[in-house]
Amino acid sequence: MGLAAASCEYDNFEEPKSTLSGRIVYQGEPLGLRSQGVQLELWQHGYDLFQKIPVHVAQDGTFSAVLFDGDYKLTLLRGNGPWMDNTDSLDVQLRGSQMIDVEVEPYYTSTDPSYTVNGNTMTVDFTVNGIHTDRDLEFAGIYMGRTSLTDALRNEGAVMVAADDIALGTPMSVDVEIPSGLAGRSDIFVRVGVKTMGVQELLYSQVENVAL
Amino acid sequence: MMKLLKINILAAVLIGFVFSSCENDWLDREPPNILLDEQVWNDPKLITGVLSNYYDRLPQHTTITGGWPDFAAYDEAMWSGYSGNDWLNNLVTYDFGRWGLWDYGFIRDINLAIDKLQNVSELADDVKTQFISELRFIRAYVYFEHVKRMGGVPIITEQLIYDFSGDPTYLQFPRNTEEEVYDFVISEMEEIIPTIGNNGSQTRANKFTALAIVSRSALYAGSLAKYNGQMASPITLPGGEVGITPGSANAYFTKSLEASREIIQQGGYSLYNTNPDLGENFYEAIINKNGNPEVIWAQDFLSSADKRHGFTYDNIARPVREDNLGSSAITPSLNLVEDYEYLDGTSGELKTRTADDSDYIYYDNVEDIFANKDARLYGTVIYPGSTFRGQEVFMQAGVAVWNGSGYDLMESNGLGTSYDDGGVFTAAGGPHRSIQEVSNTGFYLRKYIDNAVGASTRGIRSEVWWVRIRLAEVYLNAAEAAYELGESTEALGYINILRERAGFGENSLSTIDIEKIRHERRVELAFEDHVVWDYKRWRVAHEKWSGITENPESMIYSLYPYRVIRPGSPNDGKYIFVKSVAPRFRAPRFFQLGNYYSLIGQNLIDANPKLVRNPFH
Repeated sequence: MGLAAASCEYDNFEEPKSTLSGRIVYQGEPLGLRSQGVQLELWQHGYDLFQKIPVHVAQDGTFSAVLFDGDYKLTLLRGNGPWMDNTDSLDVQLRGSQMIDVEVEPYYTSTDPSYTVNGNTMTVDFTVNGIHTDRDLEFAGIYMGRTSLTDALRNEGAVMVAADDIALGTPMSVDVEIPSGLAGRSDIFVRVGVKTMGVQELLYSQVENVAL
Repeated sequence: MMKLLKINILAAVLIGFVFSSCENDWLDREPPNILLDEQVWNDPKLITGVLSNYYDRLPQHTTITGGWPDFAAYDEAMWSGYSGNDWLNNLVTYDFGRWGLWDYGFIRDINLAIDKLQNVSELADDVKTQFISELRFIRAYVYFEHVKRMGGVPIITEQLIYDFSGDPTYLQFPRNTEEEVYDFVISEMEEIIPTIGNNGSQTRANKFTALAIVSRSALYAGSLAKYNGQMASPITLPGGEVGITPGSANAYFTKSLEASREIIQQGGYSLYNTNPDLGENFYEAIINKNGNPEVIWAQDFLSSADKRHGFTYDNIARPVREDNLGSSAITPSLNLVEDYEYLDGTSGELKTRTADDSDYIYYDNVEDIFANKDARLYGTVIYPGSTFRGQEVFMQAGVAVWNGSGYDLMESNGLGTSYDDGGVFTAAGGPHRSIQEVSNTGFYLRKYIDNAVGASTRGIRSEVWWVRIRLAEVYLNAAEAAYELGESTEALGYINILRERAGFGENSLSTIDIEKIRHERRVELAFEDHVVWDYKRWRVAHEKWSGITENPESMIYSLYPYRVIRPGSPNDGKYIFVKSVAPRFRAPRFFQLGNYYSLIGQNLIDANPKLVRNPFH
């Protein structure tokens, strides 16, 4: 009896309790992304065999993982996010719960978006900034949706502005028509995304809830 | 009594001595249950057995036996079978590990066999050379399967033996470049051509099989070089493990074209043209195993040897199934059906609405909407009102009841039901929105479905073969390579030969462009394991399957026929058709840039730190 009980005890590991949470930021501002679009990797050295812990980033640029205490290295996957590749890893010494900011260097950002609704059209003011222009800008997109999970894949209406029509660093204004599927609603979710040539994911402004 | 026993024991011991002196190798006998190297490699029959095992282990992605449900994971078809597999209609994205292959266990077996033939076998040299050539063919083919999925992989051509010194680094090889692996495949094929033999075989590799693999692999390499280079941001790795220099494209296209020309001119193959019914003829061109002049290389099955498969059981059209379960798993999409042109050369889009979109078009019979289409549609897909094994496969989703100003479309909860007016409500063959094992798209698969009696039962099953490569593909490879090299007239000629067999008449096209060639490839080779690899090498997969609901190429569409109930109208009893996204299809196909090359697992990198990861992983 005693032996049987002991072996039960022995099988029960303690679950990880420390939470590592953080944000992907540029100049202190969290970056908007596509939910499930970008992945970070956590690696732990000191063992023979490596196995990464994938950490998915949410649409508002935050992430979190529940882990054992220990020393980790946080890395960005090459070509995965809309920013410059950085092979340097970030050391994370996790002792209890912790918050970190992961600083990245985007190619392009969209800033200061504002949305003015007028009947069935919406005027979107925003600025596209070139941070690292060694890759070309492909387009800026305005995405409208029913939920806060609105992005280039999940949306009910999208309007693209080609790179040729965009002056970097200069505020611009675009009138978009609110699609009929959304026009009857009391509010919609909107964000502006910028697409860099050859990078799959867009960098978005944070989702805003706009009353109609 | 005692004495007698003693004598007996003495006798037994003496006899024992006698025998043991004869059997002086008592502890050194041949095992009765294991074949030794000397036995295997000196017996051509046993070597053929080894080869047969290796042919059977060739990597496959979607074939009629291996990975067949994945036919429903792209845009040719969706899953309408057992609802537990509905994830195929709901793939959020393709996994980075999808298409992954790292079969060095198999490569070691092949290297070992070559080594044994060289060092152990005492067969005549020409016999040995022929077997070694065939093994090298298999090895090169396996490397081709690796490079098209992973990019460059380490080329290992002899067995690696560990010396137990505690340091395995000398066994760790870095990845060769993508270009080197393609070059290896092509040069191996070219080297073995004079010695491989097997002339006339359709299941063992011969000279023309090797040329056919050159035709295909060099075309892949050429288009990878060209179209990767044309991407806004080409997918490459600094060491060339991924990414072929665009300058090599023409050399590869030339290799491919030369190989294709040799097969077409000297191979003695011809397009299957036996049945005057062109639709049936195209169907038979793939499944007919008796003297089929078109098939270059196939994986054969034989019921009497219990080598058979359940592809027909799983995928036969519901109304003609012979078993009480199964059927209808892979159902072709409307997207594919509409890719088959009308015989007058116009777009294959089905005409369901009048030109001004004011009303439906009414058809007397459900099959009339498919009249005058490319015969390959009939040979590939069972559409409503088509026949299989002599039986009509009637399909009707429901009834359209006139309400004075429009139609109420009504569908039944069951199959084979009748409506209040006594006529058919929902046909026994569907299509149905939600029931499993009945078409959800309005179409069933015909290609590779066995029409032999009993083939769709679990007891009998099917012995239809899997065609690895046939002459029609060689024509398409030749057309594509010729076009890429600026030889449009030659390309046009090859395409028109294929179209003529499909019922278009002679020289049906007068001009050619790359889109027409790709279109021809899609309709000719549907369900023959090409679509993924073609989209990848043309670098269009991420655009075709962009994960966006608004992109019609990422979605699976269906076509539902309804019977019109409008007493007093001339249209009463006729059929109308409604196109829509297939009801069981949930998530648009989403191919990411990281899908162009599959994931090299961390376990492999742990074992061999010299391996570099693929882009975006």
